[in-house]
Amino acid sequence: MPKPSISTTLIALLLASVLLRTLAAQTPPAPSKSVDGIKVDKWNSLPLHGIDYRGVQSAPAPKRDLSGIWDATGDRVNGSPPGIQFSGANEHRSVLPGNNAPRGGQRDEKNIPNPLPYTSLGETTLESHKPTGQGVRAVPSGQGNDPVNICDPPGFPRMEFSEFRNLEIEQLPDHVLILNQNYRTWRTVWTDGRELPADPEPRWYGYSVGKWLDDYTFVIQTVGLNDKTWLDNQGRPHSSDLKVEERFHRIDSDHMELTVTIDDPKMYAQPWQGLKNFPLRRQPKGFDIREIYCSPSDLAEYREDVGDEAPPDK
Amino acid sequence: MRSKLVLTLLLIVGLLSASRPVLAHHGAASFENGKSVTIEGTVTEFIWTNPHVHLKVDAKDENGSVQHWVFEAQSIVNQANAGWTKNMFKPGDHVLIDATPAKGGRLVGLFRGHIVINGKEFKRLEEAP
Repeated sequence: MPKPSISTTLIALLLASVLLRTLAAQTPPAPSKSVDGIKVDKWNSLPLHGIDYRGVQSAPAPKRDLSGIWDATGDRVNGSPPGIQFSGANEHRSVLPGNNAPRGGQRDEKNIPNPLPYTSLGETTLESHKPTGQGVRAVPSGQGNDPVNICDPPGFPRMEFSEFRNLEIEQLPDHVLILNQNYRTWRTVWTDGRELPADPEPRWYGYSVGKWLDDYTFVIQTVGLNDKTWLDNQGRPHSSDLKVEERFHRIDSDHMELTVTIDDPKMYAQPWQGLKNFPLRRQPKGFDIREIYCSPSDLAEYREDVGDEAPPDK
Repeated sequence: MRSKLVLTLLLIVGLLSASRPVLAHHGAASFENGKSVTIEGTVTEFIWTNPHVHLKVDAKDENGSVQHWVFEAQSIVNQANAGWTKNMFKPGDHVLIDATPAKGGRLVGLFRGHIVINGKEFKRLEEAP
């Protein structure tokens, strides 16, 4: 038998190595599992990553049921208008950092793709809002006037547009409770057939009524919102005439989508969607929500330690 | 070879994650973005609270005089999601920290990701794909 040449041996080794790598790359399909079977810490549970849901077999959506703890965990934000979420749900660790690139590109938001339909009051109000986070409109912290920087409540709908955190939804016979991790706030959504108030005193989280559009789509209308809040971390404004529609659409036992429409003729010439089919995932049973508060004394300590160049503008 | 690749990837992930938004209090406009400082010193206090977790470190400058640095992270929730805990730093720990310095020459920095505590590199929780 002739001895193989060095080149033949090298080619054979190379082929073998390619074959081995190809085999190694073909990971076997993950066994089916349930979200509720995924272990999380008993206290201060960390929200699941997108990767944790691999191999999850979701049951069909239960009818007329949104109950559970829902998080924006682990999904990229596709299809939402530029800017509205980049400092919101995208902040979550499981969203790829590339999605956090500041969008918009103009301090006055003119000459950008898909600009919001600001009225002239909308434009001047936007200009008067000085955000201090990230993005093209951000100013140094001492020159900002973001209401949450002095521990004002983010309010609604900012709780959904920026820093979307865990929402626990509880359904009761005549109302739905939405418990919000951020600032430990809750909203009551009446389902007893009452009308929205005609001339409400403004609230940070508004007045809400809800009804089922079909077995899997729950629609909430909200009015009576305090105009001291911003719509999002970028300082987009709203007036106290703002009406918000939320559509929670349950896909299956573990997935839900949220679409939020802003209708505020004083600030925007047409209604627009702040979130569109925004993906939410259910967290496992037994999930313990960590608290997020803005405490004035913690804030004072932080300011003393880290130093703020100047108090916020009024 | 593989470990080098993993290290490079970890470095990239670290750099990218350092660019993620912080809460609104101290945003990008308060820091010298693109600049980096490496500070070595001794922990005096670790403050695990909102709005921003922060760390006080005493470090010597080139003349040997002690400077009081403060390094800023994000909220408790965000830091916990990155694998931090309330016991991560203790007074007396010897640390090496890469940070983005604040504008105006103040001794304040924003954590960039690379942290060594008592000679051991701190690893973030793995980023999800």
